[in-house]
Amino acid sequence: MNKQTPLIQIKNLDLHFGAFHALKNVSVDFHAGELVGLVGDNGAGKTTLIRVLCGIHTPSAGEVYFDGTRVKTFHPKLAIDQGIETIQQSVGLCDNLSIARNFYLGREPVKRFCGLPLLDFAKMREMSGRVIRQFGLRENVSVDDEVERLSGGERQSVKIGRAVEFKNRVVIMDEPTNHLSVREREHVNELALQLRDQGLLVIYITHDIFQVHRLADRIVIMENGEKIEDASTETMSAEALEEVIRQGGRIVEKRDAV
Amino acid sequence: MLKSEIKRLVRRHTEIGILFISLCLVLLFTLTSEGRWANAYNIGTILQVTATLGLMTLGVALVIGTGEIDISVGSTFGIGALIYLWFAVRIDPVFAALLAVGAGALIGAFNGILVTRTKTPSLIITLGSLMIFRGLAIALTDGFSFSVPYKERDGFSYSVLGGAEFLGINTGFYWLVAGLAVLLIALKMTPWGNWLLAVGGSAASAHSRGVRVERIKLSAFVVCGVLAAFAGTLEASKLGFADGSMGRLMELQAIAACVLGGCVLAGGRISLPGAVLGAFVLSSVQSYLVVTGVRPQWFILLLGLIVVFAALGDRTLRRWSLKN
Repeated sequence: MNKQTPLIQIKNLDLHFGAFHALKNVSVDFHAGELVGLVGDNGAGKTTLIRVLCGIHTPSAGEVYFDGTRVKTFHPKLAIDQGIETIQQSVGLCDNLSIARNFYLGREPVKRFCGLPLLDFAKMREMSGRVIRQFGLRENVSVDDEVERLSGGERQSVKIGRAVEFKNRVVIMDEPTNHLSVREREHVNELALQLRDQGLLVIYITHDIFQVHRLADRIVIMENGEKIEDASTETMSAEALEEVIRQGGRIVEKRDAV
Repeated sequence: MLKSEIKRLVRRHTEIGILFISLCLVLLFTLTSEGRWANAYNIGTILQVTATLGLMTLGVALVIGTGEIDISVGSTFGIGALIYLWFAVRIDPVFAALLAVGAGALIGAFNGILVTRTKTPSLIITLGSLMIFRGLAIALTDGFSFSVPYKERDGFSYSVLGGAEFLGINTGFYWLVAGLAVLLIALKMTPWGNWLLAVGGSAASAHSRGVRVERIKLSAFVVCGVLAAFAGTLEASKLGFADGSMGRLMELQAIAACVLGGCVLAGGRISLPGAVLGAFVLSSVQSYLVVTGVRPQWFILLLGLIVVFAALGDRTLRRWSLKN
């Protein structure tokens, strides 16, 4: 693991939505082979930050480097092509499509017939079913069924299965254990560690500092669109980090002053 | 067990409702018209009308699939017919048809670019283009009509383009069958179809998976324009004349056929065979009114009632199918 060259480097990132200043001068590095917990209260800017990384939002100012190269155009297609897979909370699944079609949306396997790209349904059904069932899809639900019929946990399992299946370089998990049972939650956490051990960068977003402290190598805390803490889990306890979240930036300012 | 299988079937095939309606109407019309509706000549006429309306409906269904709407297709139909007839007497009708279809593609691109670039609701943009191109059609014809005399319309090109019959059915109908087959494959079996339905289902989710939402919408508008102009070409080839009012109100019929066929106007759920069956039902109703001597003015009223009841029925059926 080379800590000198970050896989993703964010420098002085700003993002405005009209008059609202969503991200304020955020600078942070992410390295391959590390699991970073991105923590903060609602509205802290965690999801907004990762939406820049996965190409949904284009920053108003600042720079983003991926593997040393500056990213000039932001689009989810480009991010996916670079190997950034995101499990998002509110988007990512189309209710009207089947599980298999959702699983492969945007990277459909095709078989050429007279030059025409036709969907490889056999592969789509077989692979999506096999992968998603590991994460809690009921046996009586067919992968041809529409996502609309799935429970919250099953919907999450489709997103997680999709992120795991495609061999990526970065997996961003935005509250991945929401709606999951205790066993499924453990499974997801184990998986995050496995991905990290395989050399992937895993960014894990959550409210639960204690849960992510057990897993992460590093914790980045955000508040009101700013990064207020970036600390190794070896040097800071979960309790100390919780205090940072509770008191906001004030505790960090006091500590830096000392 | 059987009930759950039926529910699954209804969930996956939105055209089941219109199939049932079609069968009931065919039975009703056959039994109550004393042979005036169910005879070879009349069925041939219904299929010819279904061909042009059906092709237009297929395009509208694709646009509805993306969550947008195109109400300008009636004017595109008229422009297609006029361009075709203008050129058909000067160059080979096949090239004239290509020019008409090209004009349809341009109108579709005009709609699609304005909708995707300006983020203005497609209802407003296509309402504008409905009037722009209707106005253009009226201005072009200047109160007259474009025509090709019957004796000049006996060549192979005219025949293939809806100007003649093959096995007792207008050749336009074969174009409809071919169009339906091609689009069905594109929609159900290619990545493009998956993207189109994803955009209609949730544009934000499709975007987050890397789907180029604006390009997909634009492509649907272009295909819609092409099909509407081609439908106009087939109609002009059959009739041999066209004036500035050609295709008026057909946009309403096309949208009604889509709704009847199980297409959800919010997007993401469409049935192309259902939309074509919807066009068949509307053509059949129109024909039934004619053969039974009912004044054709009642058609629009009947059309409205059918659409309202079909939409309510479809909604009820879908809710039932989703209940566990």
